[in-house]
Amino acid sequence: MRHDRLLAYAMILPVVAAVLAFVVGPTYNVATLSLTKVVMGMERGFGTFDNFRALTADPVFWLVMKNTAIWILGGTVLCVTVGLAVGTFLALDSRLTGWLRALILLPWVIPDVVTAMAWKWMLHGQVGIIGQTLQDTGLTDRPISFLGDPQLVMWTLVVVLIWRKMPLVALILCAAIRSVPDDQLEAARMDGANAWERFRFVTIPNIAFSLTAVTVISMIWITAEFALPWIMTGGGPANASQIMATYIYQQSFEFFNWGVASAMSVINLLMLVSIVALYLYINRRSWASEGSQ
Amino acid sequence: MGSVALKDIRKSYGAVEVLHGIDLDIADGEFTVLVGPSGCGKSTLLRSIAGLETISGGDIILDDTKINTLQPKERDIAMVFQNYALYPHMTVAKNMGFSLRLSKVDKDEIDRKVRAAAEILDLTPLLDRYPRQLSGGQRQRVAMGRAIVRDPKVFLFDEPLSNLDAKLRVQMRSEIKELHQRLKTTTIYVTHDQIEAMTMADKIVVMRGGHVEQIGSPLELYENPASVFVAGFIGSPSMNFVRASAGADGIEYADGHWLGRPAAAIAPGRAVIAGFRPEDMRLADTGLPARVALVEPTGAETQLVLRTGQDSLVMTTRERVTQKPGDLVHVVVSEGKLHCFDADTERSLAPGAAPA
Repeated sequence: MRHDRLLAYAMILPVVAAVLAFVVGPTYNVATLSLTKVVMGMERGFGTFDNFRALTADPVFWLVMKNTAIWILGGTVLCVTVGLAVGTFLALDSRLTGWLRALILLPWVIPDVVTAMAWKWMLHGQVGIIGQTLQDTGLTDRPISFLGDPQLVMWTLVVVLIWRKMPLVALILCAAIRSVPDDQLEAARMDGANAWERFRFVTIPNIAFSLTAVTVISMIWITAEFALPWIMTGGGPANASQIMATYIYQQSFEFFNWGVASAMSVINLLMLVSIVALYLYINRRSWASEGSQ
Repeated sequence: MGSVALKDIRKSYGAVEVLHGIDLDIADGEFTVLVGPSGCGKSTLLRSIAGLETISGGDIILDDTKINTLQPKERDIAMVFQNYALYPHMTVAKNMGFSLRLSKVDKDEIDRKVRAAAEILDLTPLLDRYPRQLSGGQRQRVAMGRAIVRDPKVFLFDEPLSNLDAKLRVQMRSEIKELHQRLKTTTIYVTHDQIEAMTMADKIVVMRGGHVEQIGSPLELYENPASVFVAGFIGSPSMNFVRASAGADGIEYADGHWLGRPAAAIAPGRAVIAGFRPEDMRLADTGLPARVALVEPTGAETQLVLRTGQDSLVMTTRERVTQKPGDLVHVVVSEGKLHCFDADTERSLAPGAAPA
């Protein structure tokens, strides 16, 4: 008996050690760093909220928060709604959708850097094919600088983000929609539901779990996405597309402003924790769990 | 009112025709059971009436109105599915009231109708539960409640009892029958279980391979089966069939022993299939000799498996049986209980039997 227990502890030891070393350790480090005064890369005294005060005093911080809200909330909402629409279409039975189901994953297998560079060129103000096409077809009479216009840049990034992240969401939702029992849909037809009512009252509740899971997962993906905005705009023009991820990177590795960067990281962490907590809360009580009332 | 007439219904999937022209008249208030083995087209026919399948030819007429091309919801027909098909995210009350909610019925009105239906089906204490919290029989009742609430012209049942255990099945069978006697709504019921068909139906439609084999009341089918198929399908244990031929004085078994007189004269020498039910056989001092292979007492009755020539015969008797396996016995068929079928077409040779 004792032998078995020792063996059990020995076997989970590597995982525990890895989690301590690579998750808990760095998190603790960043958390304490955010409460430490740092001058010229030297730690000068623990136990201060100076970093947070400095961060919130900077008007750029509020711009970053606004941009991050567009990035995460706008990105997630669009990613899930577009993904739901595309997934619903892909769930139809036809030869076309069979092929599309495979093809749609293409954006997913292209590396982030390639995606970012390709879109950067396509969206270029002078030589980009998208602006060119709009001009040639007469939809605009002057070039549009998608990534240079502070009003447009954030939403342009969101569009590229959707292109990149939506396919997997669509595929997961497509699979969920196809697993909705046929007899429920037929019962709804007998009950007099039209196509929209069947979707609204039968399909959506049946895929509710996939839907919330996919929402939270895309929220986390989008929060963690760094390469796309960094390569396409680097936060510019004039911080107009600066989001948390790029801001933290810039503060720590370009300006070596670790105090502020770690404070921002802590805020980022709290945000992620609350997203996950919300997800767990929503899934806590559900009609699918046996015997719950 | 809810009389249904099917005229020459055909259904094809691509080049494969699965219903080959079905004609059927169902009177208002009648309980009709479609019965047959898997793949005979009974479910397809039911789904066509419901409007879940489009038919390739023929007419479906409900109370003098052609409903071929109407959407299911426009047909005023309700259906109970094999797997209940309850909406898992809605309570029992919401499940039952869903159709009324879709047709924008007033909330109080929905509540009143749902409660009335729940009262009939003993579901009142369960109205706030979710389907997952119910037993199989309760789910089945909710599915029926959903149909009742709509007060349709016709109820359709698609093998509704096949997911229940044997005891519950017998109970639900009588509940459905009682419900029908109470509501008097035209009902079309699909099953592959001939006992369900026999016990519940006013009219049985036996189907096979996309054709109607015979239509009639349970006892008509039992006593005057139109073909070997119907004779073998209806009744349990099923009818015994042996190769025989017509002699000068009646039907003779292959070894020359006399079996009985046919219902109508058959030209001597003609080969026939003779059929007789297990309960229409008696042990006697003379008659067809056979060896006892198996004795199975079931309590009230005893079932004997007998071997004679190439054939294995099943007989049931209410008398105490003293014979043991291996004993030689003689059996006779009760007077007037011998069925004769054509050896090739397998259709009944009795007078008045429907032609093939």
